[in-house]
This record gives sequence, C-alpha cells and structure tokens, in this order.
Amino acid sequence: MNSTPGIYVHVPFCLTRCGYCDFNAYAGLDGLKPRYLRALEREARLAAPSWDGAEIASVFLGGGTPTTMDPEDLGALLRTLRTSFDVAADAETTIEANPDTVEEATLAGLQEAGYSRLSMGAQSFDPAVLRALERLHAPENVRRAFHAARAAGYANVNLDLIYGAHGETLESWERTLGETIALAPEHVSAYALTIEPATPLGRAVARGDVPAPDPDVQADMFGLACSMLRDAGYGHYEISNWARPGYECRHNLGYWRRQPYVGLGAGAHSYRHDRRWWNVRPPEEYLATVERGELPIGGEETLEPGDAYLEEVFLRLRILEGVPSSWIEDGRADPYVASGLLLDDDGSLVPTERGMLLLNELVLGLGAGGAARTPL
Amino acid sequence: MTTETSRIRNFCIVAHIDHGKSTLADRLLEVTHTVLDRDMRAQYLDKMDLERERGITIKAQSVRLLHDGYELNLIDTPGHVDFTYEVSRSLEACEGAVLLVDAAQGLEAQTLANYHLARDAGLVIVPALNKIDLPAAEPEQRTKELANLLDCDPREILHISAKSGEGVDELLAAVIDRVPPPVGDATEPLQALIFDSMFDPYRGVITYVRVQQGVLPSRARIKMFATRVESEAEETGVNAPEPTPVPELGPGEVGYLVTGLKDVHQAKVGDTITLAGKLGADEPLPGYREPKPMVWSGLFPADGSDYADLRDALDRLKLSDAALHFEPETSQALGFGFRCGFLGLLHMDIVKERLEREFDLELIATAPNVEFHVFRGDEMTIVHNPAEMPPGGDHDRVEEPVVYATIITPADYLGAVLGLCQERRGELVDMSYLTPERVEVHYVLPMAEIVFDFFDQLKSGTRGYASLDYEPWGYQEANLVRVDVLLHGEPVDAFSTIVHRDKAYGYGKQMTERLKELIPRQLFDVAVQAAIGSKIIARETVKAKRKDVLAKCYGGDITRKRKLLETQKKGKERMRRVGRVDVPQEAFIQALRVDDGGSAKVKK
Repeated sequence: MNSTPGIYVHVPFCLTRCGYCDFNAYAGLDGLKPRYLRALEREARLAAPSWDGAEIASVFLGGGTPTTMDPEDLGALLRTLRTSFDVAADAETTIEANPDTVEEATLAGLQEAGYSRLSMGAQSFDPAVLRALERLHAPENVRRAFHAARAAGYANVNLDLIYGAHGETLESWERTLGETIALAPEHVSAYALTIEPATPLGRAVARGDVPAPDPDVQADMFGLACSMLRDAGYGHYEISNWARPGYECRHNLGYWRRQPYVGLGAGAHSYRHDRRWWNVRPPEEYLATVERGELPIGGEETLEPGDAYLEEVFLRLRILEGVPSSWIEDGRADPYVASGLLLDDDGSLVPTERGMLLLNELVLGLGAGGAARTPL
Repeated sequence: MTTETSRIRNFCIVAHIDHGKSTLADRLLEVTHTVLDRDMRAQYLDKMDLERERGITIKAQSVRLLHDGYELNLIDTPGHVDFTYEVSRSLEACEGAVLLVDAAQGLEAQTLANYHLARDAGLVIVPALNKIDLPAAEPEQRTKELANLLDCDPREILHISAKSGEGVDELLAAVIDRVPPPVGDATEPLQALIFDSMFDPYRGVITYVRVQQGVLPSRARIKMFATRVESEAEETGVNAPEPTPVPELGPGEVGYLVTGLKDVHQAKVGDTITLAGKLGADEPLPGYREPKPMVWSGLFPADGSDYADLRDALDRLKLSDAALHFEPETSQALGFGFRCGFLGLLHMDIVKERLEREFDLELIATAPNVEFHVFRGDEMTIVHNPAEMPPGGDHDRVEEPVVYATIITPADYLGAVLGLCQERRGELVDMSYLTPERVEVHYVLPMAEIVFDFFDQLKSGTRGYASLDYEPWGYQEANLVRVDVLLHGEPVDAFSTIVHRDKAYGYGKQMTERLKELIPRQLFDVAVQAAIGSKIIARETVKAKRKDVLAKCYGGDITRKRKLLETQKKGKERMRRVGRVDVPQEAFIQALRVDDGGSAKVKK
C-alpha cells in the first residue's frame, strides 16, 4: 500500500465548552492564541526534518474550533506547513468550523488561504436536541453558514451530526436527516452520542439527572441514517461516515488505513512505523515545551504484532473493507455469518448493517487481540 | 501445688447480647488486680479481631482471678445462638453462673435460654442487674421480673454497674459465698473436660480444660476419648490473664493444656482427656457430641485459578475450627469449589470473612441452605446441596430441620410477632406473660425460615424490642420443592434452591427479576426462567443487544480505542459461560448476595 501521510493540527480554543465533549478543548484561553500560532509554526519546523521525503497527502485542522482563529493567521499557518513539509499540490486540506464562527467573509478568507474542504459541526436541526447538547447555535445558523460556504466557493463540505441525545425521537432525527440531505453536502458524518464520564453530561448521567442514551433507540436511528443517506446517493464508507462518490475524507481514511500521520498542537497524536506518540495535552505545557525548542511529546507506545493486528481488524471492519477470512481461525466467523452480522464476500468478511452496530462483539469474537498474528 | 478445692470457685457469666458481659469481665480483671491498670483494654478477653469488631465472643476463654485467698476461674462463654453446644460445654466446667440482666432492657430471649441451660447443668445462679446507673434503668421492675423467673428472694439480686465498678466487690463476695466449691478426688484417674480448643501457629493445639477428678501434670502422655488420639502434653497453665505455666492442674481447676497435637479435630470441644495407659480412666465424662453443621453453602473462588489456595485456606482454618465442614463440589456455573457446613449464618459469615481477610481470597457463596432428609421408600438421602435433590418431586417425602424458638416481646408487638411466625410456617407451642407488658412466646419453626432474615424481620416488626433464641428440635415433614433457574434453557446449578412450595414462586420471581438486571445483553434474546422440574413458574427476558460499537474513531487517537477493546476483551474472559450465555462474575455475587442477616436485596 502506498504511504500517504497526513498532518493533523489541533486548535484547542472554543467559544464555550459543550457538555458532551471530552476533546482537548478550552473556552476562555483566547489570550494564548498568538503564542499558540507561533508555537504551531515552531513545532512544524522541529518535526519536519524526520518526515523528509514523505509527500503529505492531507492536512486537517481540527479542534476545538479552528475557526475561532483569524483566517489570515490560519493562512500563514498553512504556508508554514507547506514550507516545512513536502505537502502535495493537490493535498486535501480540511478545516473544522462551528456554524456560529463563520461569516461569508471568513469563509472566503479560508478558501483564499488554501483550505478547500470545510467540516461543519451542525449536530442537529432540532432546537431541543441542540439545547440538550449545549450547542449555542440555532438550526437557521447551520443553513445560513452552509449557504455562506457555498457562496464562498466551497464545493466540498461535510456536516457533522450527533444522534441519540436525551429527548431526541426517531421522528426528530428523521427531520434532521431530511434537512441535512436537503442542503446536499458532499459528506455527512453521523455519530451516536457517547457519554464520556469526565464531562458535565457524563456526570449528570452518573448522578441520574439525565438518562443515558438508549442503545436500542440509537440502533434504530443508525438504521434510519443508513437508509435515508443511501437513498439520497451517499455511500456508507465508515461506520459513522457517508460521502458522495469521490468525496470520502482522505485524511480520516489515512487514520483508518493505518497510514502515517504527524500531529501538531496540544494533545495531537502521531503515528509512523508501528510507533504511536502524542503531545502533552495542557495548552500551557505545550507552549512552554515548544518555546524551549523541544518537541512536546507526552507519551508513546510501540505496537506489538498483536496490537497491530487488533487495530488492523477493527479498523478494516469499521471502514467496511472487510477482513480476509484467511486471517480468522476456522469456525470463529461462522456463527456471525449465520446470524447475519457478517457477510462473507468472496473470502472477505464484511459487517452487515446489524453487524456494524455490534462491531466490538465481532472484533472480540473473531479472536483479534488473542494470539499475535502478523498478516501485515 | 494445686489449690485446695474448697478455695476454688468456677463460674461463668451468662447474659443477653449487649447486657454488659464483656464489660463486667473487664471490671473483674481490674478489681482483682489480675490485669494492671496500664495494661487494661476494653474487651480484654476477646482475642480475635473479629470478636472485638463484632462485639461478640466466638471462642470460650477462661481466666484465673485471685481474690481474698480464693482462686476464681471465670469462664467466658460464646454469645451467639450458633454456638449453643459450646456454651453448654463451658457451663459443664462451672459450678455457678452470674446471670447478668440489663436493668433497662430486662429479660431477653438469650437470658432465658442461657438461664435454662445453666439451671439444667445444675449451676447455682447468682443474679445481677447491670447498668443500674443508666437513666433508663428500672431496677425495681426488673428485680421483680427476675425474682419471678428465678423464684427467689428479690434481695438476692445484686445491683451493679459493670461500667463504673459499683457493686462489683459485692458480686465477687456473692460468687465466693453462694457458688459451691468443686468436688473431685485427686487420687482418682484423670478426667478433664475440654470446653474449648484452639490452634496456635507456634504451639499447635491448645485446649482449655476443667479437671473433674485426678491430676493433669504438666508433661504427661495423654489420651482423648472421642478420637482415641494419644499425645505428649507439653505444658499446663492458667490464664492470669496472660498464659502462665503451672506444674499441674488438680481437681476442680481450670486452665490450659498445650497438647502437642497439630489439628483441633483431634481434641474436640466436649471430649474428655485422660492419661494414656493403665493409669487412665475407663469412662469419659458424659455429654460429648460431634459438632454438627446446620447451614450449608457452596464456596467458590471468584477466580477459578485460586481453587488450590481456597483448599489450603480451608485446611488451615479447619485446624482451628472444629465445627467447619467442607467437601469438594463442582458447579457447572462456578467451577471447582467446596460445599461447606457451618453451625449457623454467623459462623458462615465469620469463616467467609476470615477466608477473604486472612487469606486474601475473593469468594462467591451460593445461597445457604439447611440439611434436608429426602425419602424414597425406606431409603433416606441427606441433602446438603439443592443440586442433590431429585428435581420435580421424584421422592416420597422430604423432612426439614425445625427449631424450638423462644421469643420475648413487649406485649404491644405480640401481633406482629405472631404474624411473622405464622408467615414463616411456625406452630405456636405456648405463650406466657412475664409481666403485664412482656410476653414469652414459644414456636416450633422450620430452621430454613429462621436462619436467614427472620431475626431482621423480627427486629423491624418490633422496633428492635423483641429478642430471639432457639435450639434444634429435630426433623419434620414439609412440602418442599427444588426451584431451578435456567438461562436460555440451561439450568444454573448455583441458583437452585429448596423452598416450601408456597414460596417457590416468590423465589423464582425474585431471582429472574434480579438476573434480568444483572445479565448483560447478548447477541440473542436470553430467557431467564425459574422452574420446578419441567414446569416454568417465572420468566423474564434479557433482550438481544443491538449496539455496542463506539461511534467515533476520530482524530488520530487509535490507542485509546484499542485499549477500550482490550479492556472489553479482559472483561469477557472473566465471564462464566452457561450454555451460550456469558455471565459476569459480578452477576453471581449480586444475585446470590445475602445481606445482613439474610435479606437479599437487588443492587440498583
């Protein structure tokens, strides 16, 4: 497989913290932005030499909310990345945006700066669901921001959705999907709400103040997303991701196909040659380390063959590429094929729609993570 | 030199729990200067940590007090109904008993039970009201009540405060005055009663003995009657209160003997020690009986690989606990373990706690049951384990053990007590008013109904005022059935139980409801059923799992995702398989949990 490395840049700033989010993101640290930009540029220059000769196929600015930064600064950042690394001319360059932080002028600026793909956190078109998620924006903002993106020249836009929050019904989710499809983005991500213990929502669920999402309702919602998006012409290419043909996110596919990537910014992860490492998470610590001229590495691990195999199996199942049945011990897959969770597609085991929802069960049932196998 | 028998008094203190027995023992040690003030600590005689924590005496102890030229041997008796036999052996070692009654609470069931035991053993009773300095004390009322029971002159009843020491000197004088000295001939062949036996890791088996006749020298070849074991005794001594060697124990004396044995089963409570060879006595003292387990439960290591450790731990506990029985048991659901027999639920709790605490084992205990007699024609089978009971009524009749229960309750709560006993299949024997306010009730009750949560129910129905004591009362036929619990059609032996037919549905419903919450959803619907033979009496369904995947695999943090899967994998490996159903360890522990005194609760 060709190596197509990517660059991930983490921007930890947000307008407010949403109750469900456990990402490395902070509200109220805006004063750090100028230092943070300089640190990102410096880290890029520190990290780049070891990636000499690798042609970068994608750049992804995530967060946090990258669009809380000034478009000109973001443009300068991309230029630094291009001068430090060998970024391909046709590289996919994605920036995440929050519907509240983008005006048409901003979006035009980002387009101008070289960010050609926009990923927008719509989450829902139901005001009640947005409130349950503590998102500040109204559904109209999503429509307005989306039209602004089109007007600014964006021809590759993703909408992120979250389903299964407290109070959301199947009917409400159907309307959200309908509104999404009506906007006709090139890409849709739909995530079942996951309760993370170390978040305000996680604590509220633990206290019993808010009910945990009902997995059966989420399963129904997943089924509805599969059928509505399929009918609208989107291809299902990862458990939670759909795209028009040719618009699959190359950067994310790089993660899932275990391609190398370098992460810049607080808490960003990197991977290359069976080694995974990650930067320190607290922004202040990240800044201080980079400002001393050191790489801000917070931890690392070397993958043993068994780890690598487990990753390969669960990621292949997630992106519906299938696991060769020759990898799996005889007989282990049979009950799952028989009960309709796996399809044996000419020697490749691919999860069905029901199987996708029970993927953890499949991964463990197929014996991954057991004896170290090295088909890689 | 042994003490002249005329200068010896052997006595015990009998009391209801919390009426101040341990405090009085502490005070006696203090006023006789047996323990120096600076060495004094509360509950001095209770040796095990567990005893001190639970405020009960598990093992009997004896201590020698020297007072006014007399040798006073105080024999402390176990304070729980599980250990009635041990109490009776301790009483055999005495000529007198201080009957201690709380001046606020008055007579309680254990007071009566112990009084009857002491009287039947021919002991002189020295009655004393304790805690007379409590604001709630009602000395006059209680004196009347006690005098009535003992049929004695109210002036014979001492008034003391074990806490402050008030009246304790008078109590000692009364013991010397009223309790007769022991009789026994030093020239007769040795007969010494074992009233307690314990295992010391350094010295082996140490018995506490009362010499009835003859002399027990410090070093002698001795013989146990019941076990026919002979041994070279290593040391005789007395607790004063620390072990102090003496050259010999003469008639009427009480002390310890380091037997030279390594296993308490060779020197059992109630057995008689004599000298080996032709100097020995021909007959043992009467009254010995084998300790008999009343309650049975399967103990399994939570981690199957700890089986050998559990076996070693039980072997070691048995060295110091002659009442503990165990035999290997194999459960389809729980793997290899042991079916253990206990004197009662407290004894079971203590053993389980010691295994967990002293041997660092994590255990799953199956629901405790009593011993049933199952008849088929003339053939009787003893059943300790519900799995051994023929399913679906393939037998002629079943008998269960019953007890004779004594309950004392304020008259206001009589209705609640009678209601509870009726509900527990009790048969009223008689009832009498101790005073216009307090009633003594006797019931014959199935032991299975009483050993688990009866006491809790009794306490909550009477605001804590009723007290209970009971003794085994033989076997009685009953309509008993075995209830099985099935997962996806597969019986789970660990959940089988034997109950009265009228209670089968309740048990089945409780277990199926509990398991429905405890068993994680599987890839298919799991039927949770309770059945008598092939007849299903309750059913719940654990619906098939539809979603377990984590939606996001986002950003580059693949490590976290992989670790989550590894954690899940470990969790899965720890599960037990019942047919096709994976059942977590925790589900067995929670489903079988017997809370304080037995009221099982579902943890939410």
